Amino acid sequence: MAINLVKGQTIDLRKNDKGESFDLSSVTIGLGWDVKQKNGGFLGKLFGSGEEEEYDLDAIAFLLNAEGKIANMGRTVQKGNHNISMFEGDVVYFNSMQHPSGNIWLTGDNRTGAGDGDDEQIIVKLNNLSPAYDRILFVVAIYQGKKNHQHFGMVENAFIRAVDRTGKEIARYSLSGDATFNGICSMTFAEVYRKDGSWKFRAIGEPHSTDSFVDILQNYR
Amino acid sequence: MAINLQKGQRIDIGLSKISLGLGWNPHEGTGYDFDLDASAFMIDQNRLIPAEEYFVFYGNTDSPDKALHHSGDDPTGGNSDGGDDETISVDLTKVDARIVEILFVVTIHEAVARKQNYGQVRDSYIRIVDNVTGQEIAKYELGEDFSIETAVEFGRLYKRDNQWKFEASGLGYREDLAFFVSKYFKGQIIK
Repeated sequence: MAINLVKGQTIDLRKNDKGESFDLSSVTIGLGWDVKQKNGGFLGKLFGSGEEEEYDLDAIAFLLNAEGKIANMGRTVQKGNHNISMFEGDVVYFNSMQHPSGNIWLTGDNRTGAGDGDDEQIIVKLNNLSPAYDRILFVVAIYQGKKNHQHFGMVENAFIRAVDRTGKEIARYSLSGDATFNGICSMTFAEVYRKDGSWKFRAIGEPHSTDSFVDILQNYR
Repeated sequence: MAINLQKGQRIDIGLSKISLGLGWNPHEGTGYDFDLDASAFMIDQNRLIPAEEYFVFYGNTDSPDKALHHSGDDPTGGNSDGGDDETISVDLTKVDARIVEILFVVTIHEAVARKQNYGQVRDSYIRIVDNVTGQEIAKYELGEDFSIETAVEFGRLYKRDNQWKFEASGLGYREDLAFFVSKYFKGQIIK
């Protein structure tokens, strides 16, 4: 059955097909949201011609080993005065969109949420993944949310979902429009993990106030 | 004895433990199964369910106050031969104080996609039973009168002077379950 992680906000009318199985040979983590019209009051609406506030939501994947750790943090690149690390490591995100194995990748970095449906996707070919990887953790975060005074309580129509190889939705989490999301800038969404020789999916939905997935990553070093 | 309800008829329940039973017979021959669903909305004085869990249906079989319990989804009408296929049992002594009305609805799952209506379903009815004695209090046949309908608002239990009463509404709709949910729930509905 599809797991709906939102309590008190969403009613899922789909039937729970008992014993329904998902084809986890490939899993897509889809992240979608809409740009929000800036609320400028009556005059603002009249003259501001609907200025849009942009939110930049990011989907991130951590590939974990049997110890629950990220084995390869990737290489570090010098850019100006900054050290930018984590290229080609076991973290898939906007600066390192493809895992070296080629079996997990981010389709692109959408910075505004423009367009319907999934705005960003992480695709994982689980069956091809090296046995060194035991678990993949999926995280969603608002890029520079703190600096821009943004949180999930403000974003419109935001969701993160997991879809199996056949396009069947495994789980969906609505991220927006709820006062309980005020101050929440990131979330550990879900994980896929190995169990008895096959892959299982687990919805987590743990909210965090940090806007940086690097903070969450510290737990897996 | 059972009262065969007319629209708008009211009865004094005078009971605390009752069951709402929905029965129909499986589709014989080719075509899709008929999948009838019994649902209940526990409505507060704002005409809304106070929380998602106060909508009891195949996806949520117990209300938080434990007043309502749904027996689970029967997707074919095959659960019983001639008897109730889905039941919602009600313990009126446990109903949350905020709730002023419990509305019962029967819908046909994916009626549009399967091109189905109540006129085609065999031997379908919805009834109220006294859970203590097993006696039928009221029954509503869903057959011929609803030849184009895909949803029926069966009736409502409502509180008046601290007593629960039942009113049969028997209103047919060419709608689905989401239509009723949207009336009593201000959130997102995933179909």
